Amino acid sequence: MAQVVVVTSGKGGVGKTTSSAAFATGLAQRGKKTVVIDFDVGLRNLDLIMGVERRVVFDIVNVISGEARLNQALIRDKRVDTLSILPASQTRDKDALTRDGVAKIIEELSKDFDYILCDSPAGIEKGALLALYFADQAVVVTNPEVSSVRDSDRILGVLQSRSKRAEEKKDPVKEHLLVTRFDPVRVERGEMLKLEDIQEILSIPLLGVIPESESVLKASNTGTPVILDAESMAGQAYADAVSRFLGEEKPHRFIEAEKKGLFKRLFGGRAA
Amino acid sequence: MSAAPRPETSPRLEPFRLRGANFNLLVLRLLDPRPEAVVPAIGDQFRRAPGFLRFAPVVLGLDDIALPAHEVDFAGLIAGLRELTIVPIGTTGGSPELRNAAMSLGLPPVRSIGGREDEAPLAAAPPPQPAAAPEPAAPPPPPPGTARPTMVHDQPVRAGQRIYAAGGDLIVTSTVNAGGEVIADGNIHVYGALRGRAIAGGGNNAEARVFAQNFDPELISIAGYYAVRDGLTGAPIGKAVQVRLMGERMRFDPIG
Repeated sequence: MAQVVVVTSGKGGVGKTTSSAAFATGLAQRGKKTVVIDFDVGLRNLDLIMGVERRVVFDIVNVISGEARLNQALIRDKRVDTLSILPASQTRDKDALTRDGVAKIIEELSKDFDYILCDSPAGIEKGALLALYFADQAVVVTNPEVSSVRDSDRILGVLQSRSKRAEEKKDPVKEHLLVTRFDPVRVERGEMLKLEDIQEILSIPLLGVIPESESVLKASNTGTPVILDAESMAGQAYADAVSRFLGEEKPHRFIEAEKKGLFKRLFGGRAA
Repeated sequence: MSAAPRPETSPRLEPFRLRGANFNLLVLRLLDPRPEAVVPAIGDQFRRAPGFLRFAPVVLGLDDIALPAHEVDFAGLIAGLRELTIVPIGTTGGSPELRNAAMSLGLPPVRSIGGREDEAPLAAAPPPQPAAAPEPAAPPPPPPGTARPTMVHDQPVRAGQRIYAAGGDLIVTSTVNAGGEVIADGNIHVYGALRGRAIAGGGNNAEARVFAQNFDPELISIAGYYAVRDGLTGAPIGKAVQVRLMGERMRFDPIG
């Protein structure tokens, strides 16, 4: 049976799609057969971040409405061959998604894949609810910022009450906290929430901390999931998070401000 | 620290509210469902206790009916009972066919929360009672003050969640996060941080108190009197605190 993992946050712009792309790629790199589904119907982005936007023929709405078969819509990644992408529709809206339709897709994907990642849209409306409904595990993406933390808190409540596991009174969805756009220097200056404060409020296990990094934007714009940039701190942090997700012990990195020497302070130089 | 007017008096925007509530109802178990048998028998019984069942809502118990559904004259029963000013409002038990037959006449199945109903004391004619105050069929609740139910919540109360302890106290062993809401008709205890809203003493229980290990609420209310965070300038924020109502003012005292 495949594990269904939703990547969600409540708030928009915190890095759900970036994290979904990186996470899916990371799992696939470890040999897990992985498919990542874009649930953001109407505002599809995952195909851009994954660099497959020119190969989209059919999408999830076509599959649900029976206009295409599932394997016609799946796009096989060219870099990691155990990775597939199911894109969202750009021309429809979220009402085109139905619970039965999504259930059928997930059931069919379960036969061929180890991990099904659901990239949730922002908000707590239909698209987001459907993305999390079938989840076995949830990666909750949060920025070190009060509004993001509160929205994540809200989405955790929704996961505990409105997921399939909650409705059927099964074991609860396993929750993981992924803090993104973390800047230790700004945390030290008191401009960002501390890691302990976020954990104290959300009280779920910390899966990883992704440092704010220019390489993320660069990766997005070139359609390369940032985890493939093994030089970058963000890429390494995602790789660590994937390892922890698969049960390995890894110390958290990039959470302390680097002590800058005089030379660095004079010539600046942000982390790549 | 302002004892503001009761929120109830503020204008409401929404036209209605849907709230759960528990009621004590009499169950009329039909042993012989023929209207010509049941209705006169009930009439005889209650002629001795006039007014006892006047306009009393009753639930029809279908468990003892052996007849097939199409042979039961629900329409006749309902009309006969109404004539006796007894108002059937639903059904309990019985076969699905019986329930459906009653439902088609506007009597939905009613689910009992306490399991089996007690044998209603129909045979022993009860003393006359004021109208609209039927003897409860379920065992009466214990007198107030002996053992009120307490609700214990072990998870964090997250933004957007609302926990309501009806008719008793609420204990939250974790935190109440900003945007979360805890409500109790009795006292509220929060053994983590209280960062959301706490509303104690519903139903105008001015004796209710709020206890919090780390007091940092968005809003606090007892028996309709409330204070928002901005008004809590004198309160010991971040400390272990108990809140109670003294007359029309809220009092915040450090504890522990």
